[in-house]
Amino acid sequence: MKPATALLFGPPIAWMLAAAVGLAWTATDATAWDPVPARGPAVGSASCRSCHRAQHETWHASYHRTMTQVATDAEAIVLAPFEGETLQTAGFTATFDGGAAPHVRVVSDADGSVLLDVDVELTVGTHRYQQYVARIDRGGGALERWRLPFAYHPEAERWIHLGGAFLFPDLTAGDADAYLRHLSRWNDNCVFCHNTEPNPGLRPDGTFATEVAEIGIGCEACHGPAGGHRDRQGNPFRRLLSATGDTGDPAITHPGRLAPDRHSEVCGRCHGQRIGKDLADVLAHGDRFLPGTALSEVSRPILADTRLASDPPGARPFAPRFWADGTPRLSAYEYQALLLSPCYDQGKGLSCADCHTMHGPTPAMQLRPQAKGDAACQGRCHDVEATHGGHEDTTCQGCHMPRITYGLLRGMISHRITTPDPGALASRDDMPDACTQCHVARTRAWAASSMRTLGLRGTAAQGPEGRVSRVERDLIGGDPVQRALAAHALARPEAVGDRQRRLRALVDALEDDYPAVRWFGYRALRSLAPGSLAPVLDRYDFMADVAERVVVVDELRGALGPSVVWADEALLQSLLSHRDDVAIAIGE
Amino acid sequence: MSPGAHLRASLWSLAAFLGMGMWLEAMFGLRVAGVLDDPLRREFLRLGHAHGGLLALANLGIGWALERLQTPPGWATRVRLASWLGALLVGLGFVGGGLWHGPADPGPLVLLVPAGALMLVTSLVATAMVRPGDAARRQSGDSNPGNAS
Repeated sequence: MKPATALLFGPPIAWMLAAAVGLAWTATDATAWDPVPARGPAVGSASCRSCHRAQHETWHASYHRTMTQVATDAEAIVLAPFEGETLQTAGFTATFDGGAAPHVRVVSDADGSVLLDVDVELTVGTHRYQQYVARIDRGGGALERWRLPFAYHPEAERWIHLGGAFLFPDLTAGDADAYLRHLSRWNDNCVFCHNTEPNPGLRPDGTFATEVAEIGIGCEACHGPAGGHRDRQGNPFRRLLSATGDTGDPAITHPGRLAPDRHSEVCGRCHGQRIGKDLADVLAHGDRFLPGTALSEVSRPILADTRLASDPPGARPFAPRFWADGTPRLSAYEYQALLLSPCYDQGKGLSCADCHTMHGPTPAMQLRPQAKGDAACQGRCHDVEATHGGHEDTTCQGCHMPRITYGLLRGMISHRITTPDPGALASRDDMPDACTQCHVARTRAWAASSMRTLGLRGTAAQGPEGRVSRVERDLIGGDPVQRALAAHALARPEAVGDRQRRLRALVDALEDDYPAVRWFGYRALRSLAPGSLAPVLDRYDFMADVAERVVVVDELRGALGPSVVWADEALLQSLLSHRDDVAIAIGE
Repeated sequence: MSPGAHLRASLWSLAAFLGMGMWLEAMFGLRVAGVLDDPLRREFLRLGHAHGGLLALANLGIGWALERLQTPPGWATRVRLASWLGALLVGLGFVGGGLWHGPADPGPLVLLVPAGALMLVTSLVATAMVRPGDAARRQSGDSNPGNAS
């Protein structure tokens, strides 16, 4: 061979030969391709960044990442100032200070005794509101942590006692047990859905050795432990060869390649409250769920009829979390709602991924850009005209996924996709319907007859319901979820009805026995009321004593006039007598 | 490869890779999801376009240098072929690796890039080192082209 040929073509030929040998070696190496043992070690989201930079960036911008944070971490997003704010609730004063080293102290207003005096160790949530966790040994050992009974609400820029966020009546003044009712143990509650690969580590002596692979919801929460995948993909020839097929690496779960039911189970692990098959094992070792496998192997979803082994026959301890037809009415039950949807089609149809993406452009709601509004349904699965029923300005979700879910101090859309049929509920007070949640000044009888007028299928009206609208009835005579959602509906942008009438009704919500309902009423009024009432509303605190609140309510009622219900004493008393004041625990 | 064939091939390469730039522009203009929504493909197509175009220009420079330095024909013929082939492999390796790629890595065609790069580097080294009288000296027993002066 001539020197010129050897110099110019020798190195590239040598490289191609070496590459060919490397490819052939890897292609025939069984250990590079065989399924690996189900559980490799978890390695943390930082390990994923070098190969999956774009996905890492979208995850980094997500609320999943900051679901749990170490409060003193310099990069942690701590929403509350911790600059000496105070919160007076039911005879106790909480002080939040410490700045970068957050600290909470609660003392009794009556005798100055200290109820809590703790350093905040973890934060939970960064979107709707933020909760805080401290290490408190109440018999669970040195690693026992408790979610404190407060949250910081960034929209309102204020602290709230969780008695005001969950659906419980007002606290009794001076009752320390009631004040601490929402102190919730992190080790065997929050840890599961707000962290990656959680293991409560409950020991036989009742102490905890809780561990998580990563604080917050990291990549491996949805993709499974990535140690085996990382080790394999360290071989560049394997990465190149795996690009030629569409099978991926069996050492890791790619939810986008799963069947609809398996994919939804990855989300349902946390967005669908459930009960472990072997509760003792879950508390000792974690739930052992591997994304991509059947969720039913380790747990069952909580439904309206679910009961624990310790419950008596016929008991329905979870029923208050569902509407009468079984539709979930609290957040964190989206998976159950999907299961009940006809679109789910026994796991062969709709999955969470059809509307949501974890690696899209916006962290809030994480909707696929091409699945917003009508585009989620139209042209993909349904060819019905978006304007059917004469609702040009309403999206598919407005009628088929009504806002009948309560969570995080908000009214949220239901994830059970349904066809509205207000006539079928005409004689019932136990659940809302899609139509009257927007037509807030109307009755169900009106909605049922309107369905016919618009050429839509529906049950015929069951007779007149009087002059009070469905939402106005629910606002006074419903249970706490109905009352909160009624207040929410009255001020939604899509609500149809006389503004003055809605304002008058919302003033009634400010007198509710449940702080959360009052919060909904107050927030609705703030968005709907004219600027002239702002100074009056500024003086209203939904957590204040009744004596303080009633002064503002009287002033508002004087300015706006009484509501339809308030003006009719007999109707008011009738609705109040039907009111169901159940307390509803929310695990969010 | 003759000087004329090298010049023409280099100009064709330049035209092809510059034309590819127009194609990429069109993909953006028409909002083609296969390009816009695939950052890895986008990056490797851009790399192919840029490297292919610039290395075609480099080939024009190498052709000019070979004439200017009076490189012996035996070397010059092979340098022209290696440098043009090298430019082509680098450009096409990036493009192919981007068009058919895995979830986080380019496809196997990207292995052509190092091969092409090696050919270009050795071509440049040979152009710089080989002198007009090296062929005659080699025949007379001096095999080190760098020793000639």
